[in-house]
Amino acid sequence: PADTRDPAQPRVRSAPAPVTDVARLCVCDLLVARCDVNCCCDPDCSAEDFSLFTTCSVPVVTGDSQLCSQKAAVYSLDVEANPPERIFKLIDQVNPSIFCIHATNYEQALYLKSPEIPTPENFDQLLDKFGGATFSAEPDSWDLDTDTQNPPDANETSRYEYGVPVQTEDAFLRLPSPVVSSWCSDANPAGFLVNQATKCIRSVSVEKCGSIQALSMLFYINSSILAVPKSSQMVNITVQSIAVQSLNGMRTLLSSSDVLRLPMVLDELCINAVLGVNYHITHTDTGEIIEAAAAFVLGAISKEALSIEQSFEISFTQENTQPVPLSGNPGYVVGLPVRAGFQPQGYPFPAAFLNKHNQLTILQSTSTQDCLAAQGARAPVLFGYNMISGCKLRITAAMKCQPLAQTLLDVLKGQSFPEYVASFGNSQAQDVLDWVPITQLHLSEQADNVMISHTLQSSCQIPVSLGIEVKWTKYGSLVNPQARIVNVTATITTTTLKQLPSGRERIIPVTSSVVFTDISSPAEPGYKAWPTINIKLPFDFFYPFV
Amino acid sequence: SSQLSSLPLQILLYVNVIYYIFFFLATLAMIIYKSQVYSYPDDLLAPDLAVLFLMAILEVPRLYLGFKGNLTEAEVPLGLSLGLTVGSVVLCVYLLLWQTYVLWADVLLNAVLLSAYGLESGLKVTAIAAFVS
Repeated sequence: PADTRDPAQPRVRSAPAPVTDVARLCVCDLLVARCDVNCCCDPDCSAEDFSLFTTCSVPVVTGDSQLCSQKAAVYSLDVEANPPERIFKLIDQVNPSIFCIHATNYEQALYLKSPEIPTPENFDQLLDKFGGATFSAEPDSWDLDTDTQNPPDANETSRYEYGVPVQTEDAFLRLPSPVVSSWCSDANPAGFLVNQATKCIRSVSVEKCGSIQALSMLFYINSSILAVPKSSQMVNITVQSIAVQSLNGMRTLLSSSDVLRLPMVLDELCINAVLGVNYHITHTDTGEIIEAAAAFVLGAISKEALSIEQSFEISFTQENTQPVPLSGNPGYVVGLPVRAGFQPQGYPFPAAFLNKHNQLTILQSTSTQDCLAAQGARAPVLFGYNMISGCKLRITAAMKCQPLAQTLLDVLKGQSFPEYVASFGNSQAQDVLDWVPITQLHLSEQADNVMISHTLQSSCQIPVSLGIEVKWTKYGSLVNPQARIVNVTATITTTTLKQLPSGRERIIPVTSSVVFTDISSPAEPGYKAWPTINIKLPFDFFYPFV
Repeated sequence: SSQLSSLPLQILLYVNVIYYIFFFLATLAMIIYKSQVYSYPDDLLAPDLAVLFLMAILEVPRLYLGFKGNLTEAEVPLGLSLGLTVGSVVLCVYLLLWQTYVLWADVLLNAVLLSAYGLESGLKVTAIAAFVS
């Protein structure tokens, strides 16, 4: 419907009038001013075009078939004629049903409703109705009261769940992060159990040193955290440590972290400005926050600086556990390091595994490619990533066998090769059964059969390759399978070192590799047992004959 | 003969009762069907239903007065019945022409009812003439 009320507003447009003449409607006419192939109703097609068609994609154009009598345009191709020509017929189609519509007194009955064109008058009302993320087809039946949209389920939100924003007294625990650009946005909430580290830029000036809230320690520890959502139990954020960073980048840890240091201007510098905050939140295994601590890095802003980079980090630790970085929960996540450890000498059974600074590592190839000059550069083994690395060993006549073999073993295995590997990404050190021992094999290149021994043979065998094979399987449900390490085998291949004539030297390659093999058995279909029909006659059915 | 009551009118009135019950139920069912299958906004459904029920309310005294007038050979009830018939005819024409959706079945039912009304009116006029004279 055209809006002719106010011709002074040229912006008001109306929707185009609907075409209802059956002879002029053509659904397959897509190209403007060009003939569409096999479209018999296209007005842009000439008789020559029709002679090339094979069939009519739209044979009939009718109105609503519910009407008792209506016009229909029938298009067909007469293939008998030479050349083939299009036949167009306008016929009256009759609906034989007794419930066909004879007449309607309601214009919009059989047509799609034209949408309301927004005008300055009805814009607000249209925005109310359709401006949200969802809207119902029947707006009158919906209760638009926003308070009842999320009914508080007292049982559901009595604990924090993964990803839920950590609530504080006034709003949420803020973790400033860059949004869209690199400038800090203070509106980013920290999610529960979501370990995040962000860096962003904040515009500062020495004159506004005391007035910019985000530079002051108070801004970050001011409001206390709610222990569970929507509760009144508060957890104060304590200051764990304060490190002061000087203008040239050196950081000093302060001994006393009780005093709050607020930013102030000193010698044309703004000191005690927050350069980094590291939150550590301790929670129980039922989703309740019990402790919160923040470690600050304070620095100085010089007069010329217009912006500083702030870095923020948050990490969550469960109470009574070591804050070990998990490689998955519970299954390993591809790309995270494989966790490994030692079994401390305990008798009869050790209670836990030490896995501090212990990772499964392999030799990292260096640019010099010299095994003996490799300064212990090692790369962690990441789950799911097959790796191969190596170096070249230059052997001269003067080298003695036994020290060389030991050096190469150190180069291949590293300083502390672990004995056990965690079966799951979140295996705790105290669960002994969750750890898989590393099987060590020794292969000799010369011999055909495998000699499993823990000492190298007397005829100068030197290790030349270390192959770690990690066998893993899919564990758990079919829908969400978790990766679980089942078996780890470290194979050392040795070769015989033949004595060289003096003055000659030989270069042999030394390789180490990690291979991950999926040994999960394919899922088998399981069928439920057929239901059996349980028919039993009552025990006194044949009374009195039995 | 001494009997002035019109037999054809009596038969027609009797048939009218049966037919009207069928007509009312069929039209109501069709309105319900139309409201489910087609787009039938509430502000158009209400007048149609109102007309149908008004017609049913009118029909009861109309037929009763017709029976009574014909059997007691009194012209006053018959005259009142004729007056109410005019109202029923108007409502029937509304259902035939100005309903929101007029189905072919609607056309048939209303046409039959209209012709019954017309015939009835004629017979009533004849009966009144016979009673008065």
